[in-house]
Amino acid sequence: MSKLTFPIGGIHPQDAKFSRGCATEVLPLPPVVYVSMAQHLGAPAVPCVAAGDNVKVGTVIGEPAGFISAYVHSPVSGTVKSVGPRKDMLGNNVTHVEITVEGDEWEEGIDRTPDIVSEIPTDRNAVLEKIKMGGVVGLGGATFPAHVKLNPAPGSKADCILINGSECEPYLTSDHRIMIERPAEIIIGAAIMQMVLGGCRCVIAIEDNKPEAIASMKAALADLDYKNMEIAVLKKKYPQGGEKQLIDAVLKRQVRSGALPISVGAVVQNVATALAVYEAVQKNKPLITNTMTITGDLLPASGQHNYLFRIGMPLSFIAEQAGGVPDYAAKIVSGGPMMGKAVANLDASAVKGTSSLLYLSREATKRKEEGHCIRCAKCADSCPMGLEPFLINRLYKAGDLAGMEKASAQDCIECGCCQYSCPANIPLVDNLRMAKGQVMAEIKNRRNNGK
Amino acid sequence: MENKIVSPNPHLHSRNSTASLMRDVIIALAPAMLLCVLCYGWSAIMILALSAGFCVLIEWAIAKWMMRQPSLFCPSAAALTGLLLALNMPPTTPWWTVLIGSIVAIGVAKMSFGGMGQNVFNPAITGRVFLLVSFPQQLTTWDIPKGFIGGLDAVSGPTLLSQAKLDGAASVANVDLLKSFLLNPGGSMGEISGLALLIGFVYLLCRKVVKPWIPLSIFLTVVLVSSIFHLCNPAAYTGPVFNLVAGGLILGACFMATDYVTSPMSDWGGVIFGVGLGFIVMMIRYFGSYPEGVSFAILIMNMTVPLIDRAFHRKKYGYGRA
Repeated sequence: MSKLTFPIGGIHPQDAKFSRGCATEVLPLPPVVYVSMAQHLGAPAVPCVAAGDNVKVGTVIGEPAGFISAYVHSPVSGTVKSVGPRKDMLGNNVTHVEITVEGDEWEEGIDRTPDIVSEIPTDRNAVLEKIKMGGVVGLGGATFPAHVKLNPAPGSKADCILINGSECEPYLTSDHRIMIERPAEIIIGAAIMQMVLGGCRCVIAIEDNKPEAIASMKAALADLDYKNMEIAVLKKKYPQGGEKQLIDAVLKRQVRSGALPISVGAVVQNVATALAVYEAVQKNKPLITNTMTITGDLLPASGQHNYLFRIGMPLSFIAEQAGGVPDYAAKIVSGGPMMGKAVANLDASAVKGTSSLLYLSREATKRKEEGHCIRCAKCADSCPMGLEPFLINRLYKAGDLAGMEKASAQDCIECGCCQYSCPANIPLVDNLRMAKGQVMAEIKNRRNNGK
Repeated sequence: MENKIVSPNPHLHSRNSTASLMRDVIIALAPAMLLCVLCYGWSAIMILALSAGFCVLIEWAIAKWMMRQPSLFCPSAAALTGLLLALNMPPTTPWWTVLIGSIVAIGVAKMSFGGMGQNVFNPAITGRVFLLVSFPQQLTTWDIPKGFIGGLDAVSGPTLLSQAKLDGAASVANVDLLKSFLLNPGGSMGEISGLALLIGFVYLLCRKVVKPWIPLSIFLTVVLVSSIFHLCNPAAYTGPVFNLVAGGLILGACFMATDYVTSPMSDWGGVIFGVGLGFIVMMIRYFGSYPEGVSFAILIMNMTVPLIDRAFHRKKYGYGRA
């Protein structure tokens, strides 16, 4: 099978997957965890425990507060010390449940054995309920509640589920590791989601810079022998794992502006989400753990790690376990270097979607002084949405809202390709994000007034 | 957690810079410049150095003292303009002509429009055209100064294009075009070797500094137009290979028409730009009063760029296919 890729734009940053060979290690338990109620896209969960309550691993501590929301479970056993606002990674106040860790006692019914349960249940609604009760959210970055995505509105039907193992961001290796270490569980998780969506085609897409992962997943799939499921090899190109780009690469379909992937019959879920679905459905284990990478451009090999962490662990505790924040680090990024967020508060806790602590040196991450546009068009050539960032940037500075909408600022996926490529160091993504916000608000305004 | 940078994504940069891109173009011109130095000796060194030096100095002075915006000064970009201007002059050009050309190129064509990225016309071409119409004597004297390598057996005389213009197409029918393509002393310095220029251009393509669409569409249009005329009347109109090799077409198409600032932003816009440019070149060569039309064609097409950019956009994701 020839290698697939998306047709518009894209860049080839340095791979920098230094931690690809580091087997996943299980982190020890910290003395205290702070579990955020806003670990998913949508309404934050409502805490359902109070100070003094005893909880076990897997006890529900937060309940969904709307249609797009998710359950939050205790990742540890112990006593709830407090429930209240606390600063998250970005410095925003978010309700957290603080739990003092005592022992490691799990809720009954959670299967902690390593046995692989490969029999796919057939009751769609029961499985969806389990995914919802397990607090499973998309772990590819957006943390969208999985049970919502897997339950398309009446009238729309999925004919393909794409399992995203492309991990196209430089540096990150946690998806790579779970594909090597836990391929069968990912594939069973994929098969469960395939069943939920009515037995559609399932394609597991992996970038060609991860041959070990491809081999491991292929072998596991051959063993399990599920129907209508295949592994597709993608070219290494950023942002290959972007939802819209992946759909175009594998299915040769484009999601219309403003529409959801389901409009072209596609559902995309990350490999880590597939693993979480497997655990929630087959093992009754809610989403309280995930895998993350500790890496950096100047970090010695001894400092590179892939960790299985529990949600709520303070980032500072995790950093300490890996040997502390290195002196050279000028910026700490959580997530990939292209789309991740700079950590403003290391005392914040890890959340379901945490995928890395990336220590970047000043040299690697420093923004150079903004120069003058030389009209080289590299921003437009690299844009995977086919936009013209130079134009939107100009329209934004001129305050031309109609022009920004016509130039499709609202379609920007904030992948960073344009700013990465710009020889004049123009902060294109900063400005495009603002332009996008203004246009989106305008569109929403129009829609509300139209009604 | 003190003293850590917090800023929005992306957190990496390609390390491309305006200066590095300009440096790449200068490197791409190196083979042609080296041949100039070998064939024309100290004259070539002097003109190249003077032109680049003047341009850098003028841009620095204007950015600092007149515009009071030192960030507009980009030494490598100014030097590139200077080198391209030099390659558009004969090796015998006197120093004061070089100076005037530099003033027009940087001062008038570039900085008076707002400097880096703002100019409508290609600065080096503007400088050359200004000199060509103001000092035709100095710009069309095709003597060959003493070079560092001997045995060139080059004779000074009219260039192929002016010969074709004066004596008709038949007079150049038996010219060894392959030899002209490889080494052709006796025109503007940049016309010394099409091969050297193409080698440089391939380097630019490999480094992804420019894309091939503009030069390709220029070459194809020139071939197409000249083929039609040549087939209709070979005695009156020169043929396609002649028109590709002769004059400044390769230099103009590969290095001047591809100037970021003064060419369209989209690929299809570039194709239209190239087709128009190639067509105008051939019209001037066949019917104009000047033997060569590349410079004029570039200036004329420079004017159409804002319109082309309005008309041609990229294909956006999610608007065409379902």
